[in-house]
Amino acid sequence: MVSARSASVTPGSLAPSDFPWIIEHKEERCTLCGQCTAVCPKGAIHLAHMRKRIPQLEVFSKKRGNDYKTFTGLRQATDPAKSCIGCGMCSMVCPNDAIGPVPGTGENRTVFFDNRKGEPLKRGGRRNVSGPTLLDRIVFNRISMLTDPALDAGRHEFTTTTTLGRILSPEDFLERTINGGWIPPTREIFPFIIGSMSFGALSPNMWLGLLQGVAYCNEVLGIPVVMCTGEGGCPPWVLRSPYLKYIILQIASGYFGWDEIIRAIPEMQCDPAAIEIKYGQGAKPGDGGLLMWFKVSKLIARLRGVPEGVDLPSPPVHQTLYSIEESVMKMIQTLSTAFTHKVPVYPKISASTSAKSVLNNLVRNPYAAGLLIDGIDGGTGAAYNVSMDATGHPIASCIRDCYLDLAAQGKQNEIPIFAAGGIGKNGNVAQNGMALMMLGASGVHIGKYIMQAAAGCLGNEKNRCNVCNVGICPKGITSQNPKLYRRLDPDKVAERVADVFMSINTEMKKIMAPLGRSQSLPVGMSDAIGIGDKAAAERLQIDYVC
Amino acid sequence: MTITVVKGLDENGQRINSMEFEKLVRKASASATNIVLDTYGQHNIGIRLQKEDGLSITVRGPSGQRLGCMGMPGTSILCEGATSDDVGYLNIGAEITVLGDATNGACNAMANGKVFIGGSIGARGLTMTKWNPQHEKPELWVLGSTGDSFAEFNCGGTAVVCGIDAKNPDNILGYRPCVGMVGGLIYFRGKIDNSFPKTSAKVAEPSDKHWQWLQENISDFLSKIRRDDLLKTLSIRDEWHVLLPITPQERALMFSGPMPMAEFRNNHWIKSLGGDPLRDLAPGLDRSVIDTIVTGDLRRKKPYWANAEAAAPCTYYCPVHIPTVDRLRLIREGKIDEAYEMLLHYTPLPASVCGAVCPNLCMENCSRQGVDDSIDVQILGRSVNHHKAPTIAESLDRKVAVIGGGPAGMNVAWQLALAGIEAHIFEQDEMIGGKLAQVIPWERLSQAIWDQEIQRFLETPNISTSLGFEMSKEKFVELQNEYDYIVIAVGTHAPKTIPFPGHEKVLPALDFLKRAKSNTPIPVGKEVVIIGAGNVGCDVACEAYRLGAKKVTLVDIQKPLAFGKEKEAAEGLGATFQWPVVTDKITDEGLWTKDGELLPAQTVIISIGDVPSLSFLPETVETINVGGADWITTDKAHVTSDAKVLAVGDVERPGLATHALGAGKTAAEYIIADCKGFEWQPFAKEVIPQKALTITHYLPTETGNTEASQADRCLSCGSCRDCHLCETICPTGAISRRELVFDTIAGYHTEHGENYEYISDDQKCIACGFCADTCPCGIWTMTPF
Repeated sequence: MVSARSASVTPGSLAPSDFPWIIEHKEERCTLCGQCTAVCPKGAIHLAHMRKRIPQLEVFSKKRGNDYKTFTGLRQATDPAKSCIGCGMCSMVCPNDAIGPVPGTGENRTVFFDNRKGEPLKRGGRRNVSGPTLLDRIVFNRISMLTDPALDAGRHEFTTTTTLGRILSPEDFLERTINGGWIPPTREIFPFIIGSMSFGALSPNMWLGLLQGVAYCNEVLGIPVVMCTGEGGCPPWVLRSPYLKYIILQIASGYFGWDEIIRAIPEMQCDPAAIEIKYGQGAKPGDGGLLMWFKVSKLIARLRGVPEGVDLPSPPVHQTLYSIEESVMKMIQTLSTAFTHKVPVYPKISASTSAKSVLNNLVRNPYAAGLLIDGIDGGTGAAYNVSMDATGHPIASCIRDCYLDLAAQGKQNEIPIFAAGGIGKNGNVAQNGMALMMLGASGVHIGKYIMQAAAGCLGNEKNRCNVCNVGICPKGITSQNPKLYRRLDPDKVAERVADVFMSINTEMKKIMAPLGRSQSLPVGMSDAIGIGDKAAAERLQIDYVC
Repeated sequence: MTITVVKGLDENGQRINSMEFEKLVRKASASATNIVLDTYGQHNIGIRLQKEDGLSITVRGPSGQRLGCMGMPGTSILCEGATSDDVGYLNIGAEITVLGDATNGACNAMANGKVFIGGSIGARGLTMTKWNPQHEKPELWVLGSTGDSFAEFNCGGTAVVCGIDAKNPDNILGYRPCVGMVGGLIYFRGKIDNSFPKTSAKVAEPSDKHWQWLQENISDFLSKIRRDDLLKTLSIRDEWHVLLPITPQERALMFSGPMPMAEFRNNHWIKSLGGDPLRDLAPGLDRSVIDTIVTGDLRRKKPYWANAEAAAPCTYYCPVHIPTVDRLRLIREGKIDEAYEMLLHYTPLPASVCGAVCPNLCMENCSRQGVDDSIDVQILGRSVNHHKAPTIAESLDRKVAVIGGGPAGMNVAWQLALAGIEAHIFEQDEMIGGKLAQVIPWERLSQAIWDQEIQRFLETPNISTSLGFEMSKEKFVELQNEYDYIVIAVGTHAPKTIPFPGHEKVLPALDFLKRAKSNTPIPVGKEVVIIGAGNVGCDVACEAYRLGAKKVTLVDIQKPLAFGKEKEAAEGLGATFQWPVVTDKITDEGLWTKDGELLPAQTVIISIGDVPSLSFLPETVETINVGGADWITTDKAHVTSDAKVLAVGDVERPGLATHALGAGKTAAEYIIADCKGFEWQPFAKEVIPQKALTITHYLPTETGNTEASQADRCLSCGSCRDCHLCETICPTGAISRRELVFDTIAGYHTEHGENYEYISDDQKCIACGFCADTCPCGIWTMTPF
């Protein structure tokens, strides 16, 4: 006999097929080496012992009764807290190709239980909306065929830099040059910027690997790449190094690490590339930064000047700023002054229907060095799911509106607009970036693409992995646990950063050459792009092509 | 030797166009091997001209574009002045000598033949050259320098650039030569700007073979361009360098940048930062790279052998916390006497209580139910009936008065006696055992078993009894003076009644049961109604049937609370339950309900519980009034508001006999600890979660009716059964079993004397958790660290 056992069922009881990722285990291939369960970041799989009953049912045999046979297999947990995230680390370590996650084909019923204890789902990653983006669909349709000088991307020299900083009108520039007035600082930088990912959101090995790669790009490859710190401060010895010139220091409402930055000012060997004032973030507009307690290690706590192991939310607004005017005046002027007006200072806002008002304020502010607008497809280390998936404004039309507004004022060459949020979301980083530049951006910030390309981030738009918030990143990119981040070799990250920027540089030339353009970026060159979507073409004021 | 001259101007002095001129040249070459062309800027001179025994063309006038274009082997062309663009374009074998300069595009796509330039060349020389292995490699010799973009996509061409009278002596190869160069070789003499792409070409010194080739061929070049005087100048090996292509294979081995990252890190990164950039924030932080599958301190979890750290459900749910799981292990190990003795250390009444009257809370929670049925613990209890009492510990020279000799008081006395403390029981009745002795029908508790256990109890040293002892306030004070501690275990012996009309006709259950078990039972009528349908009511019903009743009805105002053996016994005899019934009055006819119904009865018994009678209690002992009666309040150790007075059993709150035994044991343990000067520790183990066990290792079987069959069926929850499954499943061989040698491990103590442990080698374990997933007993746990 077998005991009559009954599983109790609760509202949250789920079957394995209800999960977003389903573990497939091929028992006949498995050697029970234990590596999959050892590596699984979620504890989603375990060794299960099962028992079979084999009743003796041969009708002509006198023998009756049951035989029992036990067997083993790897099974997935059906507790939503341990649900498989599809990272595939199990299949990466499996020596026998015996295990791996496959996307669940049924409905993902765990979403109904993501709000246990009354707290809605928070996660890291990106907006879980997959498929080609609008940027992916833009084509470069103005090709110089025997008309303009034929340019060869492989042979000709191209200027692939952009200007970060306020450019004076010729009259103004002459007047100030002659009379000794202040000339706002500018930087000639590579237009693909590593966007703000904090020391804290990223692991030390990832963050330093990126910076090492950026330094290599500048000093060995001659590609003037810069990266933004994000809102987590900057290690003091980096502040005192010559690499500071490749760093955009971010200041945001949490003010993490700024005491160390100010302390380092007298000892800085060079100026930072720029100062970014964060007012908003595309992934979670209207919500502040968030570093969950899992990631506030001793090191991070020390750099940020906070207690260890606490949640670190930054308020959605700066506590001492109450209006656009005040934000622009107070913050930009203070930070410009801090670096003796030699460092460009610009704000970062979430893409929004109100972006133009901010831009117009900046146009009138002599200290503003640009505007960075972050669209809905931006990524983040931690945010509420609803903010990430459903809040925000796509980047393309926001950039376009702002650029056309500047053009209408004749100011389009004076204050640069930078775009962020979903550039390279599907891997087409140079194409997406160049499309945005032709729509009017002077450059783009890339975050997720860099994590994926330089460090092998496993996340995708189909809710794969996306656990950056809880510090269990299996690649060690966003973890503060040395047992995880030591998996990541900073040298290899740096090499991949160099690879990435070398190829972006080449792809930019491959896009610029057919335009017959080699000596300046085609910023706002919207006659060179088209899209096979009439409504989008109309909205963006570009060619409809079919 | 015939020399044919072809003029580039017609008789009118007009330029002949290139198409007509080509026809004239072609015609001339049909009959002559030496042709002189007085050109006037005609293009494509020498195109597709070939003679079997060779053809020599001298170009005297201004040359047009593409001189020697598509030149054939055996044809030689001498241009006495400078030439225009694309000299030697697609040349496949002609020898072309230009005494002056050549402009852009020299030797573009040349596949064979030689081009000698006595001056310099313009941009994009030697681009797209080819080399067909069935023919010699094409050669370009330049006395001066080259323009920009030299040798782009060069595949086969050998070039020699001598740097004599260079257009730009600081850079004789122009800007960015060798882009996309995949083959060929460039000799050069003089300065270059190193702007060639480092992933396409590399500069080297000429090898001996290179130098020999140059030496062998340079004099021919110099003589062709009529500069034999320079031979010595151009024969200084140190002044010559070569540019060699980088093969894709070589390129694949290079880091895609021109400097290996390790070199950058060591020579630039670390130097500029002055060391590790985090040395101040996190001194000594090790960030070196580790594998994904790790051992030792790099694991995120590690296995822990938590043997006997959690309680099995049997132990946890038993009010006395009798470790049945250990008893069964001792039986499996053949240590039957030890198993019995261990049980007797927990209770003096294993056969009577565990084996008979207890509803066995232990087995209600037995994990074996997940496989088939729970362990039959009554078999185990009964088998201890005849076992002798354990040996008494050395005397502690203390005395304790125990008021009341029921199961609670008995276990206090028993535990104290075994620990070497004298216990004196003061019992009101004429026998000890309390309600077990007084009211439980012999059907449920066999007299033989009972008498045996009472005898064992009374024969135990350190236990003495005073029967028929009436307690009073004064006597209590006397006992306080005489004894170190007083334990009140008087139970509940005042029956509860309800003052409805005719209540004086109603018999309390307690009195009825006590008398039923005596030699003078109270007679009952044919029809009996029992008010209160709990388990005591069921006992009453059974006794009523035994004493002659024909129809017994149990009534209750709520759903009857009776359960288990008592209920089954009553129903077996024919008793019926009726509810909800509210009693209106009792008459001689029977019980009238509030609904006006008559339940005929000659005997009505009320069984709604008993309460303590505490008239002897001093004021120092606090009580609480619940349900109209006073109950003694105690702490976890059963100590009352008077530190030397304890209270156990029903006098605190009504419960099972097992609860009384458990309270008695705890109170005794407190007294023992207090006497010995230790801090008393309550039972604090957590129950092992069901999911920690792996019960699928066990196959369903019949329950069996021997101690051995129960021992074999035990899942050994939370207690290692030494099955070696962990050792077997561990994929890295990290787990092993180790015998413990007590003598050498100072102070080591394992519960119940296991002499082994399982350990996991940190240097082998990868923290897969298979041990925890496999352990049948739930011993191995994975702890994060």
